[in-house]
Amino acid sequence: MASVNSDEWRAVCDKFTNAQNLTEVESRNDPENDPFRSKYKARELLREIYCSLKSFEAGEGEEESGGESGEQRPTEQPVDGQREDGQGISGDSPAGMRAAKLGAVEYYLGVNHVDTEELSAGQEHLMNCMKLLDRCRVSSENVSLFIHVRNQLGILWAGRDETEMAQGFLETAESNYQRYMKEDGSPPIDMTEYFTSEENLLTHQERTKRFELAYTHTMYYLAQVYQNLGETERAATYCHSTLQRQLQLNQFNPMEWALNAATLSQYYITKGRYMEGRHCLSAATVISGLAGEVPSEAAAQESETESERREHLRQKRAEIARCWIKYCLNLLQDSKKLLEDNIGELDTDRQDELKRARRREEEEEEKGRKSALLFGSEDTFDSIASLEEKVLCLFPLDFTEARSVFLVGQNYVTQAKEYFQMDGYVTDHIEILQDHSSLFRALAFFEEDLERRCKMHKRRVDMLEPICNDLNSQYYLLIRRQLMFELAETYSEMMDLKLTLANRQADTQSLDNHTIKKFNSLCSASAKYFQMFLDSLCSPEGKFPEILEEEVLRPALVARFRVARLHSRLISSVPPVQLENLNRSLENYKYVVQYCEAHPEAAAAAETELELSKEMVGLLPLKINRLKARMAANN
Amino acid sequence: MANVKVAVRVRPFSARESADGGRLAVKVEDKFVRIRNMKLDGRTEGAVDSREKLLEFCFDYCYWSVDPAEPHYASQEEVFQDLGVSVLSGASEGYNVCLFAYGQTGSGKTYTMMGTPESIGLTPRICQGLFRSEDNFPDGQNSSRVEISFLEIYNERVRDLLRGGEQKKRASLRVREHPEKGPYVQDLSQHVVSDCKQAMDLLEEGIANRITAATHNHDASSRSHAIFTIQYTQAILENNLPSETVSKINLVDLAGSERADPHYCRDRLTEGSNINKSLVTLGIVISALAQNSQMSNSCQSINSVASEGDGSTVGSHSSSLSGGGGGGGRRHCFIPYRDSVLTWLLKDSLGGNSKTIMIATVSPSANSYNETLSTLRYAAHARNIVNKPRVNEDANVRLIRELREEIDRLKSMLLSFEMQRNPSPSLSDERDGNLSEIVLQNELKVEQLTKDWSESWRDKKELLEQYSVDINRDRAGFLISSLQPHLVALDGDVLSTGVVFYHLRILPLLLLLFHSVLLEKLLRKGRSHLHRTSEPI
Repeated sequence: MASVNSDEWRAVCDKFTNAQNLTEVESRNDPENDPFRSKYKARELLREIYCSLKSFEAGEGEEESGGESGEQRPTEQPVDGQREDGQGISGDSPAGMRAAKLGAVEYYLGVNHVDTEELSAGQEHLMNCMKLLDRCRVSSENVSLFIHVRNQLGILWAGRDETEMAQGFLETAESNYQRYMKEDGSPPIDMTEYFTSEENLLTHQERTKRFELAYTHTMYYLAQVYQNLGETERAATYCHSTLQRQLQLNQFNPMEWALNAATLSQYYITKGRYMEGRHCLSAATVISGLAGEVPSEAAAQESETESERREHLRQKRAEIARCWIKYCLNLLQDSKKLLEDNIGELDTDRQDELKRARRREEEEEEKGRKSALLFGSEDTFDSIASLEEKVLCLFPLDFTEARSVFLVGQNYVTQAKEYFQMDGYVTDHIEILQDHSSLFRALAFFEEDLERRCKMHKRRVDMLEPICNDLNSQYYLLIRRQLMFELAETYSEMMDLKLTLANRQADTQSLDNHTIKKFNSLCSASAKYFQMFLDSLCSPEGKFPEILEEEVLRPALVARFRVARLHSRLISSVPPVQLENLNRSLENYKYVVQYCEAHPEAAAAAETELELSKEMVGLLPLKINRLKARMAANN
Repeated sequence: MANVKVAVRVRPFSARESADGGRLAVKVEDKFVRIRNMKLDGRTEGAVDSREKLLEFCFDYCYWSVDPAEPHYASQEEVFQDLGVSVLSGASEGYNVCLFAYGQTGSGKTYTMMGTPESIGLTPRICQGLFRSEDNFPDGQNSSRVEISFLEIYNERVRDLLRGGEQKKRASLRVREHPEKGPYVQDLSQHVVSDCKQAMDLLEEGIANRITAATHNHDASSRSHAIFTIQYTQAILENNLPSETVSKINLVDLAGSERADPHYCRDRLTEGSNINKSLVTLGIVISALAQNSQMSNSCQSINSVASEGDGSTVGSHSSSLSGGGGGGGRRHCFIPYRDSVLTWLLKDSLGGNSKTIMIATVSPSANSYNETLSTLRYAAHARNIVNKPRVNEDANVRLIRELREEIDRLKSMLLSFEMQRNPSPSLSDERDGNLSEIVLQNELKVEQLTKDWSESWRDKKELLEQYSVDINRDRAGFLISSLQPHLVALDGDVLSTGVVFYHLRILPLLLLLFHSVLLEKLLRKGRSHLHRTSEPI
């Protein structure tokens, strides 16, 4: 090889530096009608370097009597994979270094071709690099190139929809890294150093940084490969690892990182993995703090950059808060589902059973925490852990536990609402309110005192009712429909509670006037909102649609069914009023039955409701006729 | 979705396309557009699937505007008669209306939307129509106000096209939502116009501003969206009460490179298997991960909702205890992913209570096969781009259970009636219909038996009331204003004048005793009625 200090070698190094500069810096300024101008120039330089290296090799080959020819691999191996190391030239031998340098030029040529949309040529160069490396054992001299070239081939094949091919290359890169770190672990040489004069070699720190970054990319690409293969769980693990590595290696933007971690928590939440979800969220909150203080309003008015920064920080923090709300909400709701009996009340046997199982779960949580991939650097680790301690990640099993989760959620509701205000963020603000309402609903399940439970539902009504009535349907029709439905259901819930309470308090059968009045007003309010929902489906002329759109089909049938039920529950001592209520009830049951007869495909959307409506259409006339008979007899 | 209509219009050949031989790749017949891949024509029949060669799409309207000489040539007026008129009628009904134009650069989008001075397009015709309809109303009956704004979205930044040099160069206007007025652009200038000419001047001014901006960056026009908004306020006297309906007409010129699809970005994240190279895009990958996982979850929940009432929740217990996944079912999460400004601004058009029309413009030429196909494909699924948030619903198990109980009660009641009438308990289906009749008859019998008592009860009450009225009116008798409890005994004989009042000067406790013992006796005689406290007789 040309000696390190020879002029020829210096020329090669200069060309390489030039090529790198063209690729990374100059190319950004290329005009759009000649977008690859600098890259083409870089390609020429790389080709020249390649020729120089080849000519050095020819010169040296004579001296070294070509010891490597015997080890040449006979066939091409397009698929990367299972080659066992342990044989081949050692990486630090002159032959190994030659292979690595030539391989690096092939690598850069490959990337250059891929970047300039010449994929096949790019692939060829990258495969040439693979072939050269194939003859070598992995060592600190070439491990970085091993990983880089496989990363590139992974991207290339993924772009061609050959995900399994991509997976092969990337997984080998992963195992290359792991084996190297296990067996050697010293900061490996970066490929750029092959063409650098000795005084410009990188520090160990810089070498590690570049090497780890390459592996972080491997993780990231694998995450995408697994996602494309439908292996979401693995994809999530690799996203998690990517985030973890960014943090460890201090290669991240705090707010961006925090938002990503918060988003990942949402994945874990949908999978019911609350421990991981909580960890991501705690880390997100702590790391977002590293982004600095939110500029004051006064500062924001002074300068535009401060104003944008203020906006940005406030928004992202509010978004992280919303991720927390979902955590608390889903945890409560899942726990409720776990504890409710077949009529939606707390199943105390089950509660006891779960409480007994709790100890074991706590141990598992501890074990899980130890084995989990944890986020954090030395200075953030403790603050993340202490944030985690503030909220359960196991299912709350009684009111006290549920309340503690609720309060955390409610606190984030307040935070999120501070940014997402009604004026300016209508839909966001309402979504947060809906979550707040759902938090109350879930908490109410755990509350044994029915009076207080009723008050929680009243809170829901108080926060949703004014908004539902103030919103303009022209713009927010669908949101209003959601609110109407929720209000109708909440009033029904309150009505049931009032009745249960009254029956419990008064031993006698009869209800006092006050209770009846209250019951009827809740019943009517519920029916009113269901009816309002149904009216919202009407045309501007007030006509109810002949055919219900698919997305409102079930809600509309359910609303009719519920209106029917509510009307038959209204208490009245006046027979004509009773008769009118029963008739309206029958009319609505009939609608459900008749609609499903006319549109048989609708039946599947509301099977239970249809079955019951059919029964009622058959039976309600009995009740009505009895009433009529009594009225006739009394007249 | 009836509120979205999709139209396609084929433009004439350009000079270059004609020079190239002017081979047609597109055909229009009624509501169908057919597109032929000429490149595959040369190959042998067996090698090419015929479906690949000729593709067919169906739309609400198809316009063939290739050659004015042809009989089914669709002129600007014809397009207006369908689309423009429905925009206007939607607006006058009080709907918000949104008209999107979509198509490759040079496919005739601008011609369709703006037109030329000789052959004006949809926008000027809609303005004309707006003022024309206003003229039709007699004075004083109706009045309306038309306000215009015009903006451009470029690189996610919003620019007012009608404010000239006033606005700061770089600052983007903020898009916000108002509870009453819907999504709006803060500080966007609104221009009241009183005739069509003024509206057209504003339109031209805005377009000119757009073009000036484009010279700074040669690609700006094809990458920017422009929204021309007409706010139409009608003041109507309805039953002598003033009422105001406000509707917005958004005329949107979409950039060729982006789509109005709110899920477009998200789809792009998930579609294909391309790998994002830079770690900067990690957020996109994670968002897609969470999004997909939520979607697959909510799909389950839609199906399970229907059966939730059936006590299936009991079954889910066992699985939820053992499985680490918890109770399953729907888990809603929040994905901090911001929609594009365009999607945000047109939220109500894409997911609200508004009428939306999309018009896709294409070239007829075989040279543009790929572009045309992609436009047609996009237009064909444009209907599905509308957001359809669903109503979340509680599974009310209790309600269903209670209703079942009631049904059982009613059924057993029915059964007992049936038993009375016919000892063999057969509730055949055919007789179900008659059952309520039978019940009615039975009920009537039962009621008849109790009628005597209740009738006489009422008769006596009426009688008593008459007496009391008479006594008061004539002033001849006596008025009892006793605050004490008292008994009134009426003689069984209607003709008898024997009305007896018993004052009850006893303690309440004794009264109760009296009530229970004496009253029973009196009632058994059927001739007595108890009045309590201060009701005057």
